[in-house]
Amino acid sequence: MCDIFALSAGYNYTAQHYLPVFAEKARENMSGWGIGFFRDGQTLVEKSSEQVFIGDQVHESFQRLARVIDSRIIVSHISCPRSGGRHSAHNNPFALSFLDHIWLFVNVSKRKEIGEYQTANEPRLESDVYAARIFEYLRDQILDQVEKYPYASLYGTLRESIRHLLSDYPGLYTFFLANESVLFGFSNYRRLQLLKKTESLGDILLITSVRERLSPEEWLTINPDVNSPGKLLAVAGPDVLHYGDI
Amino acid sequence: MCDLFVLSAGKNYSAPKSLPLFARQASKNLDGWGIGYFKKYNAYVEKSAEQAYVADRIHDAFQRLARVVNSRVILCHVRLQTSGPVDECHAHPFSLEFAGHNWLFAHNGRAPAVEAYRTSGSPIEGAQSDSARTFEFLRDRISSYLHSPPRILPTLFEAIRQSTAQLIEEYPGDYNYLLTNGWVLFAFTNHRQFLILKRSKKLEGGLMLTTLARGLSDERWLRLAKSTNKRGLLLMISGTDVIFRQAL
Repeated sequence: MCDIFALSAGYNYTAQHYLPVFAEKARENMSGWGIGFFRDGQTLVEKSSEQVFIGDQVHESFQRLARVIDSRIIVSHISCPRSGGRHSAHNNPFALSFLDHIWLFVNVSKRKEIGEYQTANEPRLESDVYAARIFEYLRDQILDQVEKYPYASLYGTLRESIRHLLSDYPGLYTFFLANESVLFGFSNYRRLQLLKKTESLGDILLITSVRERLSPEEWLTINPDVNSPGKLLAVAGPDVLHYGDI
Repeated sequence: MCDLFVLSAGKNYSAPKSLPLFARQASKNLDGWGIGYFKKYNAYVEKSAEQAYVADRIHDAFQRLARVVNSRVILCHVRLQTSGPVDECHAHPFSLEFAGHNWLFAHNGRAPAVEAYRTSGSPIEGAQSDSARTFEFLRDRISSYLHSPPRILPTLFEAIRQSTAQLIEEYPGDYNYLLTNGWVLFAFTNHRQFLILKRSKKLEGGLMLTTLARGLSDERWLRLAKSTNKRGLLLMISGTDVIFRQAL
C-alpha cells in the first residue's frame, strides 16, 4: 500500500527528521519515491523508481534531499508496486499548472476505471498511472467550476470537483493537493494522522497516511466515517483552516 | 469613515501602484494611516497620525514605504477618527501575538458598544478606541476556542467565525475588519462592502481587497457584501485565492 506525507509551515522548513522517518515507516513500499516542494515561485519534484529503504538504510538521495529541501509546503509519496510502472516518471508527486499556480499532487487510491479518463485540457501528464488521471480529472473539474463561478472559494470548488469525481468514478481516494500557499487533503479511504508541533522557528503541521505515528507525540487521527462521503481539509502555515465532509 | 486595503499573494510583493492610489482615493480620511506587513513570520507596522494625502500629494513616507515594503500580505488603513484620539497609537493596523502567531488587525466602522469591553489578557497599550477593543475581544475568543478541550480538530476558520458571531451578538456595531497572520487573511464585513480583484493588468498581481466602493482601477472588481437577511460575511484568503467564505 502506498503512503503519502505532507508538511506545512509558515516559513521554509527542512524536514530532515520527518522525511526519513516517513520513509522508514513506509518501508514496505518498494517501488519508488518522490518529494515535491516550492522554491522562489517554482514547483520542484525529485523522484526515483528505486526503493526508499534498502537494507537498513533510507535511500541515500532521499536522505540528502530531506536535509537540503526547504519549503513552506513539502509533499512526499512512497510507492507500492500496484501504483503503476517502474519508471520514475510514473511516481508521485505530479505537477500541473492551472489557476495561476503550479500544483503538486500525491495520491493513494483504489480505482481502476479512472485510468480511462481522457482530459481535453492541456497540459497532459505523460504518465500512464491512475494518479495522473485523477489529477487531470480534478484539474479539469476545477477549471470548469471556476469558469462558471470565478470568485467561488477554492475549498468549495475543490469540494464540488471531488463530488463529481466520486459520482463519475466511485471509489476510494486519499490525496494531497498543494500550491505554494495552501495544502488540501482529502480522504474517504485511508486514515490520516496529523501533528502540530512547535519548532524553534515556529509551529509546523505534519500529515501522513502511515499507520504508525512518525513520532511518539499524540497525533490526531482523521478517520473517514463509514457514512461520510469523505473528509476535506485545508491547511495553510501550521494551521488547519477548515475541515468538513464533502 | 476609515478605509481598508490589502494585497495578498503567494510570494513577496510590493505595492508601489496600488498603495498610493488607495491613499489618494481614500483622501477624505484625515486622521492617520498605517501599513502592516510581514518579514519571515514577524508582523511589522509603520503608522502615522498625519494625513496620507495632503494638497494633491501622497505623504512622503507613505510613498516611500509603498515602494519598499515587500511581503506576501500588505495591509493598509487610512483613518477617519470616530473613536479614540488622533495619534499614532490609534492608527491601524494593530499587532498582537496569540495562537502561536503574530497577527495584524485593521478595522473600519463604528462600534461604540465594544468600547466597554475589558480584556482579561494584555490590552493594546495606550489605545482606547473601539477598534483596539474589537481586536482584544477577537484575540480573547479565538484563543479560548482553540485552547478549550475537547475538540477533535479545531480549525482557524471556525475559531474566527464563532468569535466574530459572538462579537456582533454581544457588541452590535459596524465591523469591516482584516485580520492576518501572514499566511492567511480573514476579511469580515457587516456594513458597506469589500471590492476584490485578482490578476490586475494595471496594478500589482496577487489578490487585492478594499472597502473603497469603486475599487482602485477601472477593471472588473467584484463587490461582496453581506446578504440582507444575514449578519455578515466572512472570507478566508490565502495567497491569491479565496479559500473559504461563509455568511454569518
